[in-house]
Amino acid sequence: MRRMVGMETSEQKPANGHGGNEASWVNDSAHKAWDRTRGAVAELKRAAAIEERVNRNPYGSIAAALGIGYVLGGGIFTPLTSKIVALGLRIGIRLAVLPMLKDEISVLADALGGEGEAGEAGKGRRGSKAAKPSGER
Amino acid sequence: MEMAEQIESTVREVGARVRPQLDDAKKRLTSLNSNVTDYIKENPGRCLIGAIAIGFLVGKIARRV
Repeated sequence: MRRMVGMETSEQKPANGHGGNEASWVNDSAHKAWDRTRGAVAELKRAAAIEERVNRNPYGSIAAALGIGYVLGGGIFTPLTSKIVALGLRIGIRLAVLPMLKDEISVLADALGGEGEAGEAGKGRRGSKAAKPSGER
Repeated sequence: MEMAEQIESTVREVGARVRPQLDDAKKRLTSLNSNVTDYIKENPGRCLIGAIAIGFLVGKIARRV
């Protein structure tokens, strides 16, 4: 027991001396730095409203984070990016242009159908007019 | 006409067989989606940092290839 007490006192001695002051200073500064970092992160969160955005659109925010990481990793000017962009453009153009083409084609078909019906009706009228006299004759 | 009836009955049978499986898959996917969404909402920082790290790695790999 005496030995243990002696050991404890010998271990505690440097803490009361010059080395202990340095250790406590390092400890304090580390605590301060940690507090500042936490504060900065909390402020950043508040400023960017990250939690709100994540709550509103979780998948979108994750996709945005992936994109940020991709850009930070230096993947922006790579063949993979060009492929992804080309694929996106192709899909986007298809999605944007196809409905327009569909509308145009339907309008054209309606117009052509209307003309055709009108033409046939005209022919029918002419035919009936032409048929009457021949029938009368 | 018989052919059409036969096809219709076959389609109905297949639909009746497949429908429970489709419903089950739908339920599972819905629960998975809700679980993932809840996890992201509960741990936004962790998820965002993980996503940035994954994106960073993918960018690095894409740069090397």
